[in-house]
Amino acid sequence: MIVGEQKPIEEIKKMVAPYKKLLILGCGTCVKTCFAGGEDETAALASALRMAFRTEGVSIEIDEQTVERQCENEFIQEAAKKIGENDAVLSLACGAGVQAMARRFPKEPVYPGLNTTFIGVQESHGVFTEECSGCGNCELGNFGGICPVTRCSKKLLNGPCGGSQKGICEVDANTECAWQLIIDRLKTLGQLNNLRTYIPPKNWKTSNSGGPRKLVREDHII
Amino acid sequence: MIVMNPMEKFKAKITLFHCINAFTEHVSLSTDDREVKIVKMPCSGMTTEVFMLKAFEAGADAVAILVCPEGACRYMEGNMRARKRVEKTSNVLDKIGVGGKRLSIHNLAAKNSDSVPGLLDEIMSTIKELGKNPAAAA
Amino acid sequence: MTTQAISNLHSVLSSGTFAVTGECGPPRGADMNVLNKKGELLRGWVDAVNVTDNQTAIVRMSSIAASKHLLDMGLEPVMQMVCRDRNRIAIQSDILGAYSLGIRNILCLSGDHQSFGSQPDAMNVFDIDSMNLIRTVKDMRDEGKDMSGFDLKEAPKMFIGAAANPFADPFEYRVLRLAKKIDAGVDFIQTQCIYNMERFREWIRLAREEGLTEKAYIMGGVTPIKTVGMAKYMKNKVAGMDIPDEIINRVAGVPKEKQTEEGLKICQETIEELKEMDGVHGVHVMAIEWEEKVADIVKGAGLRK
Repeated sequence: MIVGEQKPIEEIKKMVAPYKKLLILGCGTCVKTCFAGGEDETAALASALRMAFRTEGVSIEIDEQTVERQCENEFIQEAAKKIGENDAVLSLACGAGVQAMARRFPKEPVYPGLNTTFIGVQESHGVFTEECSGCGNCELGNFGGICPVTRCSKKLLNGPCGGSQKGICEVDANTECAWQLIIDRLKTLGQLNNLRTYIPPKNWKTSNSGGPRKLVREDHII
Repeated sequence: MIVMNPMEKFKAKITLFHCINAFTEHVSLSTDDREVKIVKMPCSGMTTEVFMLKAFEAGADAVAILVCPEGACRYMEGNMRARKRVEKTSNVLDKIGVGGKRLSIHNLAAKNSDSVPGLLDEIMSTIKELGKNPAAAA
Repeated sequence: MTTQAISNLHSVLSSGTFAVTGECGPPRGADMNVLNKKGELLRGWVDAVNVTDNQTAIVRMSSIAASKHLLDMGLEPVMQMVCRDRNRIAIQSDILGAYSLGIRNILCLSGDHQSFGSQPDAMNVFDIDSMNLIRTVKDMRDEGKDMSGFDLKEAPKMFIGAAANPFADPFEYRVLRLAKKIDAGVDFIQTQCIYNMERFREWIRLAREEGLTEKAYIMGGVTPIKTVGMAKYMKNKVAGMDIPDEIINRVAGVPKEKQTEEGLKICQETIEELKEMDGVHGVHVMAIEWEEKVADIVKGAGLRK
């Protein structure tokens, strides 16, 4: 899923301060699962913001709605009515959702209420870890299903650096050394020989380095 | 900024969320100087951030959550979750100028409902110190 | 390994002489006199001097420029190059430039992560890793081609080095990694500071068994301990450093004013043991900001007079 985190309320307040009628729009898929932008978080933020302005004697009307996914037009459409009734939208979707909103409603100011953090998984309840960089050329098969491009602090493709100690990355005591995980897993799979293979420099053309990416599915275009 | 006079006389509003297993109401908790609204929850773990915030938004001067003793939650960890949420929400209340001290959580010894009026007195003194909820609808 | 000597370090190592390299960190400023001073302290005691590349991710004079200053003084540099700050385009361009300035030794490193440095907000690069860097320098030298396959007008002929840390985990992988670096094209290896001699012995034994010590020159790394405080700091705070308690206790066991002397003694004993060890071809003395001690260490270990 795409993991996000709500921005500090002070920052949000500053962004929406110029408006008299604000719609907070939640997103019911990824960011709901990571407790950042679903119905509950939308309602809580709306309530907190209303109170924040009220304590300062500022009057602002704050409306709320949550759609299934802000990255798809057919769901965004459901918010059209409320968007028309308000001066601005605070989107609690990921960066893609915010931009999809801005594209669909070119005349409405849209602000991000979240910081989109990464593509990851919920490792345990409330703990999210980054697992994928979306590099466009998946090589997980070489690495026992653990991505060194994302999970090694130095993106090393040919083995751990000299800073791996007791399974921990030198950069942060709370980060597992991806290469220790890779080696352990290859051992389990009986594929330790993979480690001897020289992995050539990565082709970053398929990643964001190649410029903004676009995927065209001819079979879905009429 | 609306400046409140803490000394101003008013009837305090307190919202009490409680786990049905933690506490049985057998006396009226409201008095001349306080109006106590009670919200029964199947488990305190269901008291999410939005409920607490909405209670304040609706005008509560203080919100208290009454939970089962530690280790005695029927659903294992509901009371622990409630405590974590209270910490987070109290932080939000500080940031929005309402005051995190207005929100509190209390482990009640096995259905010891008799201790509740005493708790409310403590909460009353916090309210007296902080004054009316500045975010209450006018 | 190539046959014709590429650099002084190469010719010393290939002659079978126990080689000595030192280290020189470029200044945090543009003053080259700092380099002159450090260079003079090392002159005559080492066969080549490593010039670090923004070590610990702290901005310093570039390793290419500092290497050139040493060269002008008549000292031979080992230019360190990290993958942290440059993409492959800059890396190859810098190698060509360095060679054109007369630099003949390169040490290929991944680089300390920028979060350890003075500018943790920086974006890192890590376009290629140290293994790819080794292969790149080798292909430029032996095939005369850059990474795109373009035939270079003049190939940069570098003596290629890399680092190895026998003390990092997972241990069983460390020799395999050495083998991989040698396959990629490394001529010489400088190891992380050796304090845990037992583990080093085991590592070199495994390397010998794999025939690796015949394929590349291995230089053991040493750093003299100044005080017990420094030893404890390195043990606990420096990534990839393994200092056994016996070493710390030995330094702590002498009066404070004698700790430095004890540290130097340990360093000399380590070198003496390395000198006799099968498969070890030299020593890399990293007396960081303590260059004046290199002469004593080298003399004391009976390496140079």
